[in-house]
Amino acid sequence: MITVEQITYLYPHSDTPIFQDFSAHFKRGEIVAVSGKNGSGKTTLSKLLAGILQPQKGSVCIDGLSTKSQDLFEIGQKVGYLFQNPNRQLFCETVFREITFGLNNQGLKKQQATEKADYYLNYFNLASYRDDYPGHLSHGEKQRLALAAVLALGTDYVVLDEPTIGLDMLRRRELGELLLKLCKESNCGIVLICQEAEFMARYAERELVIPV
Amino acid sequence: MNLQMVDPRIKILLLLTISSAALIFPHPFSLAALLVLALFILMAGGLKPVQVWVKARGLCGLILMLFLIQCLFNRAGEPLLWLFNMPIVTDFGLNTALLVSLRLLIIVLSAMIVLFGESRDYLLALTQCKVPYEIAFMVLAALRFLPILREEAQDVICAAQLRGLRIKKTGLFHKLKVYISLMLPVVAGAIHRAEQLSFAMEARAFRANSHRSSMRRLRLRVVDVFYALVILMAVIAIAFIPLLTIN
Repeated sequence: MITVEQITYLYPHSDTPIFQDFSAHFKRGEIVAVSGKNGSGKTTLSKLLAGILQPQKGSVCIDGLSTKSQDLFEIGQKVGYLFQNPNRQLFCETVFREITFGLNNQGLKKQQATEKADYYLNYFNLASYRDDYPGHLSHGEKQRLALAAVLALGTDYVVLDEPTIGLDMLRRRELGELLLKLCKESNCGIVLICQEAEFMARYAERELVIPV
Repeated sequence: MNLQMVDPRIKILLLLTISSAALIFPHPFSLAALLVLALFILMAGGLKPVQVWVKARGLCGLILMLFLIQCLFNRAGEPLLWLFNMPIVTDFGLNTALLVSLRLLIIVLSAMIVLFGESRDYLLALTQCKVPYEIAFMVLAALRFLPILREEAQDVICAAQLRGLRIKKTGLFHKLKVYISLMLPVVAGAIHRAEQLSFAMEARAFRANSHRSSMRRLRLRVVDVFYALVILMAVIAIAFIPLLTIN
């Protein structure tokens, strides 16, 4: 379980904390939607959950271990994180390598990594771009590739910051179904930062509204 | 004098004067005095010591590294420190290390002078100094992009680490290689964004008229000129410090 306990977070350039004594928990095997107005701190919360940001007070624990005591690569073995802007997480030379990057770091054998990468490339309809440079893809394709790279890691938890941006109706539904499948079959805990009420109502089991 | 109140042209002049003096002055005593002067301008201008430290601490590692490289690898001069009959530090190396470190620190501190004030004031200042509006705008737009690029670079590094990359535990050469490959998308993104910005600006009729007017004009006050003269005189006085120490 990811537990957020009494955290206070203040950005360096700001006078008022974005979170004060905020608590929440996210279990494995459930999809939790996080919603709130613009600037309420949804992305900040997602970055706190992934250990990218550290709270000034309180703690964020993943399966009982504080994010403060772990390196990002250790957190990355348990939590997959999708950035709001896919450009910020695509850095490999080809679409295929983008997916195998994390798998190779997990120590998977070449054949296993290739099979898994090809599965996700097909699932997200990116197989025809296998050897292309990710920077040349459209925004929607980049979003799908970033999602594929995160989901392929098969982590216990996945934090997705606005995953539906740039996806058409069909792909949104496919993403929703994949998240449900991940949740049921792999007992994965999914935190979904989302603005779309319909998507949340359809796929999330619980909604966490961040107060302004 | 509070730097928020000082004319932006004077602040640019101070930046140019102090940073140029840092490069020209050949003696560590002059540079140390120049460092004190830059700190004094910032403190008197309204910056607290903690704020100076927060802004400059990122450079401490680089300055220390430069100091050590100059100290250990500069072989000219009389040896000062020996290790197993081998000269480790020479007087020339130590002097050069001090000069390089002080220069870098002074340039960074003097750059903080222009952090006071609005960017549109600097735009006005540059255009009133006959710098073409397009170039002045370009310089300020580039400066505004820097924090965004930094944030983007940090996100890319975090994304790679979350996908299992162990940056901390790799060697210096490998780390450098990783950073270069991670910075490529950031640079590509910056070029793409610059292109988009130029389209957006032209779509809003940027450069449609050859002459661009401004309702507000900066006026140089007597107190601004006096302030600039005092600082310039202080810099000139600092230039003579080595002569006093020789006598």
